[in-house]
Amino acid sequence: MKNTRFRSIIIYIVVCFFFAGIGFFLFEFIANSRQWAFSPVNRHLSEGNMSGGKILDTNNIILAQTVDGKRVYNEKEDIRRAMLHIVGDGSVLIPTSVQSRYNSELFGYNPVIGFGAPHVFDINQNIKLTLDSEICAKVSKSFKNKKGAALAYNYLTGEVLCMVSLPTYDINNRPTFEESSNDKYEGVYINRAISSSFTPGSIFKIFTAAAGLDLIPDVEKRTFECKKVKIIDGEKVTCMSNHGKINLKDAMSKSCDIVFSDIAIELGREKMKAKMEEYGLNKPEYFDGMQVTSSSYDVMNASKADLGWSGIGQSKDKVSPLYMLKVMGAIANKGIYIEPFAVKSLFTDSSGEYSNNSKNSSKRMFSESTAESLKEMMRYTMKNQYKDSMFGGIQMCAKTGTAEVGEDKLPHGWMVGFSYDKTFPVAFSVVVENGDFGIKSAGPVAADMIKELHGAFKSGKYEKK
Amino acid sequence: MNVLFSMFTYLIQVMLPFMGILIIGCCFKSLFSNLSFRHPLIALINKTTGEKIPIVYWENSIGRDKHCDIVVNSPTASRDHAVLYRRDEGWFISDTNSKGGVYLNGTPISEDEKVYIDDIIQIGGINYELRKSDVFYDESEKNSLKNSYNKFYAGGSLLILVSFFQAFCTVQMCFSGPSFNYEPLKIFGLLLGISWASFFVSKYIIRRSNFELETLGIFLSSIGIINSAGVDVKLTYTQIICLGIGIIFFEIILAFIKDPDISMKFRPYIAVIALILLAINLVFGKVKNGSQNWVMLGPFSFQPSEIVKVAFVFFGSSTIKGIQTTKNLTLFILFSVACMGALFLMNDFGTACIFFVTFILIAFMRSGSIRTVVLTCAAAVIGAGFILKFKPHIVTRFSAWRHVWEHINDAGGYQQTRVLAYSASGGLLGLGIGKGALKHVFAAPSDLVFGMLCEEWGVIMGILIVLTIAILGIYARSASIRSRSAFYSIASCCGAGMLVFQMMLNVFGVVDILPLTGVTLPFISLGGSSLISVWGILAFIKASDERTYAIKR
Repeated sequence: MKNTRFRSIIIYIVVCFFFAGIGFFLFEFIANSRQWAFSPVNRHLSEGNMSGGKILDTNNIILAQTVDGKRVYNEKEDIRRAMLHIVGDGSVLIPTSVQSRYNSELFGYNPVIGFGAPHVFDINQNIKLTLDSEICAKVSKSFKNKKGAALAYNYLTGEVLCMVSLPTYDINNRPTFEESSNDKYEGVYINRAISSSFTPGSIFKIFTAAAGLDLIPDVEKRTFECKKVKIIDGEKVTCMSNHGKINLKDAMSKSCDIVFSDIAIELGREKMKAKMEEYGLNKPEYFDGMQVTSSSYDVMNASKADLGWSGIGQSKDKVSPLYMLKVMGAIANKGIYIEPFAVKSLFTDSSGEYSNNSKNSSKRMFSESTAESLKEMMRYTMKNQYKDSMFGGIQMCAKTGTAEVGEDKLPHGWMVGFSYDKTFPVAFSVVVENGDFGIKSAGPVAADMIKELHGAFKSGKYEKK
Repeated sequence: MNVLFSMFTYLIQVMLPFMGILIIGCCFKSLFSNLSFRHPLIALINKTTGEKIPIVYWENSIGRDKHCDIVVNSPTASRDHAVLYRRDEGWFISDTNSKGGVYLNGTPISEDEKVYIDDIIQIGGINYELRKSDVFYDESEKNSLKNSYNKFYAGGSLLILVSFFQAFCTVQMCFSGPSFNYEPLKIFGLLLGISWASFFVSKYIIRRSNFELETLGIFLSSIGIINSAGVDVKLTYTQIICLGIGIIFFEIILAFIKDPDISMKFRPYIAVIALILLAINLVFGKVKNGSQNWVMLGPFSFQPSEIVKVAFVFFGSSTIKGIQTTKNLTLFILFSVACMGALFLMNDFGTACIFFVTFILIAFMRSGSIRTVVLTCAAAVIGAGFILKFKPHIVTRFSAWRHVWEHINDAGGYQQTRVLAYSASGGLLGLGIGKGALKHVFAAPSDLVFGMLCEEWGVIMGILIVLTIAILGIYARSASIRSRSAFYSIASCCGAGMLVFQMMLNVFGVVDILPLTGVTLPFISLGGSSLISVWGILAFIKASDERTYAIKR
């Protein structure tokens, strides 16, 4: 029996495997339960009996709600499509959406009680957004089936009024897994406005100008020379045309590449990098408390010509639409930007509004004088280059960008800007992927968006709230 | 009123796991507390040296080998010379094919001889005198010894707790729908009847001294039954009948293996019956869900492989005498190969895995040879490699393993992703019995039952149940080291190991820690044959407890 006694220890090995496995399961449960619960396979959410809170836009248009145990979305297809990335589709596929981020609040979910709390506890909360869903829907259409993103926000309060990411799909007619991985739906689950970064092209000249204003005395009075092509250490930097003798203001308005590459080269790698990081490039980016794609500026191994290219938004430069929105907010607002946010408030059906989400936190990006100079340059660009008629007479400051992406593809078109008029405090950022020149592709989208928002502001649509 | 009811049923639901912890805790506390240190049963006195050797086991190997319970330091003694063992009738000595032979009071023995106090046993030229164990104690200690063993535990109070648990579950189920449902009350009545009938039979007719293990079994089985009632009440009546059959099967096995020596003689017949069952299965079996392991008997269908599990453990077990006289495992290996071969032909790889692990457990318990275990595993790996080479479609069955979220709508990950999503939906405290959504998924109350437990009863309850089965394994080991026979020890450890492994295959399969094989969760899964088989295995664990066959005075 002594032998039997010793040998029976083998069963402990089996039991040890069990404990290891169950420990692993618990670990995975704690780490992933939220993802599992909000996976697309869960019928409790898609057709089950779980009541969920409403999601409203700024005008109290219901974007999502639970009716008779079913999650239903806005009745208009264009609104459903435009708001997909911010509202979410009830699954984990769009992790940045409100329905994923606020699932505990909306569905009363937490890993301890699951979805099991009795409805009398009233733990489902409704969420009110700052976005105007009707304008989002109209802006989506302005993209004319191109991919891209458009953002607009009130630079005095931080409320994001419009956020659109394309491509999108109708939540009532989801693409299957195979469909969503083909070309038409490329990156369909990504909210490009916050989770993508693109080569900026000429809009990056704003940063180079800012660095020049900060570090080179009298740069505004200096005269530069553009001969269309410049050879630096055997490598070429080229401009769209031969601008001849030109000052900084005109270089911005005419988008002269040579001038800004000269400034970048003059400042050198270290100073450029330090300045760009001061402006927030290469820094983690946040939206509504979640980390999103950050913008980057990398000239560590760049040749002199590459450094020049980096000053005009080519090379390895990458910016996200959200970051560009903040930059516009900062220039419009004396160098300080108000943090943009999209969730206005959370409230329950019974107790009414109780948590106000507007944080209004702010941060300095540019010095006041630099911001003022940039503002005037962008206003000058708008007036002389794009003309105020483009925005239906609304006084705007803006800059376009055309980012070469090579490989025989059309360039990405950018337009970023803000209103010059403090009674219409709106900044915007628009990117159209492979859309052609910024003014041709992003321009009309920005114009439609600004005109719509201006109309809404002037009619007093947002004032009641 | 509605609000009050939903609060009330939610309160009950939250209470259930904690009540479960109480029941399980009490059962195991009682089970383990009776396994404290034991006193010697008798003593052997070495007449040459005067050394007093305490005899603590019911079966003791005697020989020159240092692993023997009684080591004989004599060159003329064989390595495994003899066995001194106790049965109801008294103590026996058996010569296990030794060279020098065993002499009892001067005469050589040819077969098992009964030995009495003061008898002289001569092994390898050394004389041992059999004495009462009181040679180890003073006069003062002797009195205190008398009542130290056989502390009777009234298992009824634990069963009352279980009945309350069943009642709370029933209340919750009755109020779970839009209107009051009477059907669960019937199930409750039947469960109550079976629980208490088996308790009274055990206590007053068979006169067993304890009922904790049965209480545990009834507790787990009733959770399984109530859980399947949440899917469809009609499913549960067969399951309740099978619980009754299971408990009867449990008692029959306990009676059948009461004498380990007789059991040893029956082993070949059991093996033949098991092989016949598998043969019938292979010839007449029906294919259900990919495995051909069902046999139809009129309106009933059952899985012979489940019953063969019990026979497998039974055939693998052996007394010390049996181990010492049959040195090799040839017959058992042949039997195992036949069983596993049959299961492979039936496409039932999960059960084949269970048999394989149980085979390793038995082989190690009997031979103690790590080499055997390593060689067997190596052979299995090579065998598995060959099978995969010639039947590559098996690989595709496991291709989704650890990638289930990429297979949410194909067979590879359909069930696992649902289990995970709904387990998370249930959270730690669950949604309430019958309120889950996993029950609509195919095989939910059988293969995916762990997910149902997590969703409807809460993850705490799910883990509590699997933990109970794991602790049952630890208990089986603790009880078996002082069993009345090595036969029970081996049967108990290997049976419990089989249950724990099967539970692991099931639970870790559905939560994507192991590949999904589609075996049942012991006690809980819907499936009559499985439930009966599990109760059969439980009988082995019960038998290993020294008190089980104690005669109550």
